[in-house]
Amino acid sequence: MHIPDGFLSPAVWATLDLVSVPAVGLLARKAQRDLEDRKIPLLGVMGAFVFAAQMINFPVGPGTTGHLVGGTLLAVTLGPAAAAVVMTAILAIQAFVFQDGGIVVLGANVFNMAIASVLAGYLPYRLWAGSGWRSAAIFAGGVLSVLTSACLALAQLLISGVPMPRRLMLVSLGLFLVSGLIEGAVTLAAVRAIERLNPVWIRSPKDSGSRVLGAVAIAAVTLVAGGVLIASAAPDGIWSLVGKLGLTAQTAPWLHAPLADYQVNGLESAWLRKATAGLFGLVLVYVACFLTGKFIARQRSI
Amino acid sequence: MHHVVVERWSRRSSPLHARDARAKLGALLAFLVAISTTPPQAARAFVAYSALLAVAIVSARLPFQGLLGRAALVLPLSATFAAVTWWSGDPARAIALAVKSFISGLAALLLVATTPLTQLLNALESLGVPRPLILVVQFLYRYLFVISEQAQHMRLAARCRQGLGLDRRSRFYAAAGALGVLFARSWERADGIYRAMLARGFSGRFSPLAPARFGARDFAFLCAAVAASTAIRLAL
Repeated sequence: MHIPDGFLSPAVWATLDLVSVPAVGLLARKAQRDLEDRKIPLLGVMGAFVFAAQMINFPVGPGTTGHLVGGTLLAVTLGPAAAAVVMTAILAIQAFVFQDGGIVVLGANVFNMAIASVLAGYLPYRLWAGSGWRSAAIFAGGVLSVLTSACLALAQLLISGVPMPRRLMLVSLGLFLVSGLIEGAVTLAAVRAIERLNPVWIRSPKDSGSRVLGAVAIAAVTLVAGGVLIASAAPDGIWSLVGKLGLTAQTAPWLHAPLADYQVNGLESAWLRKATAGLFGLVLVYVACFLTGKFIARQRSI
Repeated sequence: MHHVVVERWSRRSSPLHARDARAKLGALLAFLVAISTTPPQAARAFVAYSALLAVAIVSARLPFQGLLGRAALVLPLSATFAAVTWWSGDPARAIALAVKSFISGLAALLLVATTPLTQLLNALESLGVPRPLILVVQFLYRYLFVISEQAQHMRLAARCRQGLGLDRRSRFYAAAGALGVLFARSWERADGIYRAMLARGFSGRFSPLAPARFGARDFAFLCAAVAASTAIRLAL
């Protein structure tokens, strides 16, 4: 789900922009260290492939079709860091050229669909690919990638104060689960088809992890994604828990984001403070961008 | 295809087209941040934002209806959320949600419709976005339409062959096979592109035809846009 501008509160999108910018910078650097020079056009063309792959319809039920989302497929073929870079490029093109997703919330969309989703989608493969559960790993990766991005997007909307009745939330979670299962099946079928053409295209992780460890890690990711959603759906519950444990005094300054709640009150509140906070946030985002850019430029070898 | 319209618009000329991409990007960010931080009850502010945007659209000499139509692509999603918000008893917030997302989308569209994507990416690079990411976006956009057409041809061919009425399972695997073939062709195309780039001595950047220059007018435009957005946000 691409979040448009105007849905998220400034505190939420500013925080996620601040998280995403350095993360994408690091991943771009990692991708460049992993791959040779040759791969820059490859990453661009594979991004175009994921766009085009959405035209290929997979029949999944009576009268319904699904299509590839692509995060897990890219992670399994190009590696997770490169896949995150490609997904970021796709989201940027979608936001700027196709008006699909907002500009100031691009950081949030990148975090949900390019970083968290790709890493969650790669995790089962990383842990199970060496064992006998390889197919299950690819399938689970597809499911996890869709569910992770959906849970995060819903949580961000809830934190921003977009109301969501419980029933609607359950329905949308059900729909996301179905589309996750479709993504898993499509990814698995696509990986098998690609492997038949040329097995070199599918990466194989060097060491094989244990199945138990993999299961624990996947359960952890699911719990975290679900937990974030539940915590944002019922913040009062969390607060009362905090109060019961007597943590309020110690944790309050931590839990308050530095730029939070400057949109809550009406026009009467101190506008200068809000303007300063907004400007400060922008400057922070820009400085983070700039430093990452410099850092990467120094490491670059093109 | 649909998107080509925006690219054609971006190559026209107007006072807004002539501004440096960095100035337009800064102006857009100031505008979007102002909208995003405006409280839902401030109806007059939203009217003022729309008026400001209308002035920009007029100075860009672009078809009004076409722009509005494209920006309306966001409406189904935001109308759904607005309806839910309304239903949970917060009509002011519901209207603000729909209005905010529409105005923001229109403003972003105006930037892309007055700035060729290459200029926009060069501006982003000069503002500090890492070059590898910019290069990937450039390649992606360049080959998007090539590979999409390939996919369309494959879909047409598959439809022509499916007169036999396969069952769902076989159609699923046929689609997976098509995806695999598309993947293989894209990969091989990328290899070919890299060899061609080497042969031509690609230096690691696409050089623009005319170097971008940030002049006094661009500075004035940027200041005016930031001042207007801030003034609306704070005064109304």
